[in-house]
Amino acid sequence: MSRTTFTSAYNLHKLVLGLTGELAGTYKKTLGYFVIAFIAQGLAFGMFYPLLKSLFTDNIVLADVFLYLGLMVFFTTLSLAAKWKGHDFDFTGNVIDITHSLRTKLGVSLRSMPLEKLSTYKTGELNSILSSNVDESVILVGAASSIILQLALVPVTIIAVTFFVDLRLAMLMIVLFPLAIPLYYRIRRLNVKQKAEFNRANAELEADFIEYIQGLPVLRAINKTGRDAQKLQESIKYVRSVQKRGLYNVQAPFVLLGILIETVLLIILFMGAFFISANTLALVTLGACIVIVARLTEPLAVFVGVINVFDLIDSAFKRINAVLDIKPLEIHRPVQEPGNFDIAFSNVDFSYHGQDAKVINNVSFSMPNQTMTALVGHSGCGKTTLTRLIMRYADVQKGTIEIGGANIKNMAPDDLMKYISAVFQDVYLFDDTIINNIKMANPEATEKEVEYAAHAAYCHEFISRLPDGYDTKAGDIGGSLSGGEKQRISIARAILKNAPIVILDEPTAALDTESEVAVQNAIDKLVEDKTVIVIAHRLSTISGADNILVIDNGEIVESGKHDELIAGRGKYFNMWSAQQRVKEWHISA
Amino acid sequence: MYKKRRERSKKGLWAVMAPVKAHIMAAVGLSAIGGTITIIGFALLAYALSIIAGGSIELFGMSFGFNQAFLVLAFVLILSFLIRYYAFVISHYGAFVLEEILRTRITARLAKVPLGYVISTGTGPLKKVLLDDVKNLHAFVADSTPLVGKSIATPVASLIALLIIDYRLALVAVSVLILGAVVMFFVMKDAARHRTNYERSQSDINKAVVEFVQAMPVVRTFDDGTTSFKRYSEALDRFRIHTKAWIAATGLPGRIALIILSPMPTLIAVTLAGIFFVTSGSLAFVELIAVLLISTGMADSLVPIMWLNNFIKISQAAAIRIHEIMDLPELKETSTAQYPKESAVVFDDVSFKYNEKDNYALRNISFTVAQNTTTALVGPSGAGKTTVAKLIPRFWDVTEGSIKIGGIDIREIDAATLMDTVSFVFQDTFLFNDTLANNIKIARGNASDEDMVAAAKAAQIHDFIMTLPNGYETLAGDRGTSLSGGQKQRITIARAILRNTPVIVLDEATAFADPENEEEIIKALSNLMKNKTVIVIAHRLSTIKDVEQIVVLDKGEITEAGNHDELLQKEGVYARLWRNYEKAQNWDLQRKGAVK
Repeated sequence: MSRTTFTSAYNLHKLVLGLTGELAGTYKKTLGYFVIAFIAQGLAFGMFYPLLKSLFTDNIVLADVFLYLGLMVFFTTLSLAAKWKGHDFDFTGNVIDITHSLRTKLGVSLRSMPLEKLSTYKTGELNSILSSNVDESVILVGAASSIILQLALVPVTIIAVTFFVDLRLAMLMIVLFPLAIPLYYRIRRLNVKQKAEFNRANAELEADFIEYIQGLPVLRAINKTGRDAQKLQESIKYVRSVQKRGLYNVQAPFVLLGILIETVLLIILFMGAFFISANTLALVTLGACIVIVARLTEPLAVFVGVINVFDLIDSAFKRINAVLDIKPLEIHRPVQEPGNFDIAFSNVDFSYHGQDAKVINNVSFSMPNQTMTALVGHSGCGKTTLTRLIMRYADVQKGTIEIGGANIKNMAPDDLMKYISAVFQDVYLFDDTIINNIKMANPEATEKEVEYAAHAAYCHEFISRLPDGYDTKAGDIGGSLSGGEKQRISIARAILKNAPIVILDEPTAALDTESEVAVQNAIDKLVEDKTVIVIAHRLSTISGADNILVIDNGEIVESGKHDELIAGRGKYFNMWSAQQRVKEWHISA
Repeated sequence: MYKKRRERSKKGLWAVMAPVKAHIMAAVGLSAIGGTITIIGFALLAYALSIIAGGSIELFGMSFGFNQAFLVLAFVLILSFLIRYYAFVISHYGAFVLEEILRTRITARLAKVPLGYVISTGTGPLKKVLLDDVKNLHAFVADSTPLVGKSIATPVASLIALLIIDYRLALVAVSVLILGAVVMFFVMKDAARHRTNYERSQSDINKAVVEFVQAMPVVRTFDDGTTSFKRYSEALDRFRIHTKAWIAATGLPGRIALIILSPMPTLIAVTLAGIFFVTSGSLAFVELIAVLLISTGMADSLVPIMWLNNFIKISQAAAIRIHEIMDLPELKETSTAQYPKESAVVFDDVSFKYNEKDNYALRNISFTVAQNTTTALVGPSGAGKTTVAKLIPRFWDVTEGSIKIGGIDIREIDAATLMDTVSFVFQDTFLFNDTLANNIKIARGNASDEDMVAAAKAAQIHDFIMTLPNGYETLAGDRGTSLSGGQKQRITIARAILRNTPVIVLDEATAFADPENEEEIIKALSNLMKNKTVIVIAHRLSTIKDVEQIVVLDKGEITEAGNHDELLQKEGVYARLWRNYEKAQNWDLQRKGAVK
């Protein structure tokens, strides 16, 4: 139970300072303004003591009354002016500058973090960190710190002023105000517990609903839908019962916190009446005290209303920090450059982060410059992992991977990537013109070079038919480009890049027959004079490879040319024969 | 027109919340009473001060000494607590009830609308409505209704109390409030206009983020960081400029509102006037204290109204999406159900479009699949093959023409019978989170264990299941054993075999999604299709060489039909497809110019 309002607020404060970066000074100044504003506000309230006292005496000295009113106006003006300055943070766009620099930093981190780390995030997760979490955390920081400071400083100032007026009333406040803290923690604790249970119930509902939607064709056939979908109906009811249980627990302290000030007022009235009847307190002082304490109702109500916002800010900051903390892969010294484009694996072991099982187990092979190597094996055998490792997706645990004699660990990622083009099953086109989509591989390329690449990738013809030709935006016509056409644009990109190493991972698997032929032609152009690593399910595609590696369970079990492997009557032979048999299958009634 | 849409959406919000109207009214009412009681409490507090030294106050013909007054105050405090508490409890409870009702209705609705809608919308967006949108309405009902009651009651009660205590000070407080309200009006109006600009740049930045994140693998291989990062940071820059412009436009009135809504101006105005009236002898101490306690209530209650606006906006968007589902037309059920006696499938001049506005996806499609024969649908992607197939189990209804099974229009067959007549294999390669046995048996309620095992054997999956430690009792689904795609497919084939419908619709593309189980799947499919009327969407043209009929589609129309040999002789679309197919099959990746 080491948490107090102030340590968690302080932690948050430190987090904010870290993330506001070059604007940390501005943020600190903002906090300074708020401190002035709320102390001045407390002092302005405190002026009610002398003001009312001087107003309700038998011989009113108007000069005194107006002096205190003048002081009240002064402190009010000071408070409002400081608040005005403090809100510069929100209203002159400092907040926007911070979100801007945070997003830029996050972008840099995304560009440079190891691909393995990147793949542990779901796309949606990163989207929400870069867009909504940045806003949630930063935009509310100004308002949140103002609320916390107000809640802390106004009562402290009031108590301090009261000390000079009446010690006992001040002591009473010191005893009563901190009652809010245990109430606040009770709410937080119950909220956390409640939320955990609620999230579990919601996760179950989500799982059951997905099952319901995906199973709907079957469920309809057997008439188990709507109310009759028992499992789903039960989870819907369960969510309700969890919420209901939480309701009575959480609401009572919540409302109690809401009427705390009223309760304090009542106690002050009772004790005040006692002191007055003992003739040790003036009625006017008690009246002023009640007016002043009543003013605390408002900041408390605001705070109660936004309790959840603090959790939101906190978790948003933590998620942002988690991304920023990911370090890029280390570049080992001395930095090396490949002499040619042989690729050599020696005794490589690899397992994915957080998993014990070796996905690649003591693999050694070499691919001489300008040869084609095919990787073959069941899905999950490690083929794709091997291609990823060449691109330094993550660092291997044992052994080395070298390109032209240079260890890839000794190369900067951007330099390594210069030597490699990869074509995957999935294609990504930017919402930009076709020409820019191709040119991104080589921004200096001339129009002629781009057109040449497009010709070679068999896409010049259909691009020319588009309304604005090469200047057509891919996003505008995204839907009307077929999968094969998009794949050919991505191959044009690779041809333009003209990297000496080409990785092909099932580039035609997602295409229909018609597009497949055109994409095949484009790939034939791409691989000319290159060192090629190819993964293809259809073995006839790779039967011409210089070397075929048969992978099983992360190990190379066979290797050689097609004819040698067929003659060997091993695993490759079995796969080949199965594919031949399937080819012969005809549907017939 | 914009206004009209807004009208409708507001109605939409109330209509969605109709089931818990009583809860909402009660919560609003209770919190209004709670707000009023607080004001009364403050007034009583001030008057209690005046009788501390002795004496009494007259209320409703009764006279109270200080002790009684204190007890009344304590009672008011407890009452205030209870009323606020129950206002919250009722509004939250209403929100829970609303969640349950809406979710039950949505799931029931989804069972009645065309299945095509559910499939084409996809799990993600539907999940968002059922979980997130319903949750947003929850927040609206639970948290904003007490706020509404309080925001209405507090200013009214404060004003009445002030008028009773001292009408002159009431006027002073009200004029500060009116000044505040005028500025507020100005701010909120201005924000509405600028908000659209801001929201547009906000959504632009979201797009930029999505693109940057999704493209990361491509970015890493094809870009040294300049191109894509430039696009990303340009979007960030635009956002910064637009947002700052928005802030500059709304900042000043925003700050002014901040000052006016702070209680201090009201307090100072009231105090100044108070000094004047006290010195002229027309205001007593108690009255000034009472006014100081109550007068800020009006300004305080303006702040939550700003939050409320935001709440309403989010909830309206949620309500509209919920309405979209609830308003979907149901698949029409026939009242005069007929039963097909045989299983020939006939398309009679069928045209179809997905929406009224859209172009026709299919035009004048006519063909006949004789009982227990196979027809293959062939064509380039986007030709309409899948659409034709989906019309048979009524995932959508035809726009024109008719589809008949056994001579009966499928719209005249009741839903359960149609489901017993047609299986769409691989539209449902989905396993329930239940045992493998139940996943197969679900196809036929009264199936015996023997029937189930026979189906599993025919689907080539029995041997595999027997190797599992718990055999048929193994749990499927994500929380159970992980089955490969091909194994799941064969379990769903077993399901289809057990269901034994006379008509089978098969999508070959999904059939071979998992290349490693091809041989087993082929055997399983052969068993499934024995003595059935089969419509297959074909991609590997070699597999359909021997079928009775091949229907070639292009751009939503039938271009040719016949068997393999007839079509090859025609030298039309099919012949072209066939040549391409052979070529693609025999692609042998060669690096020209290789140094051998």
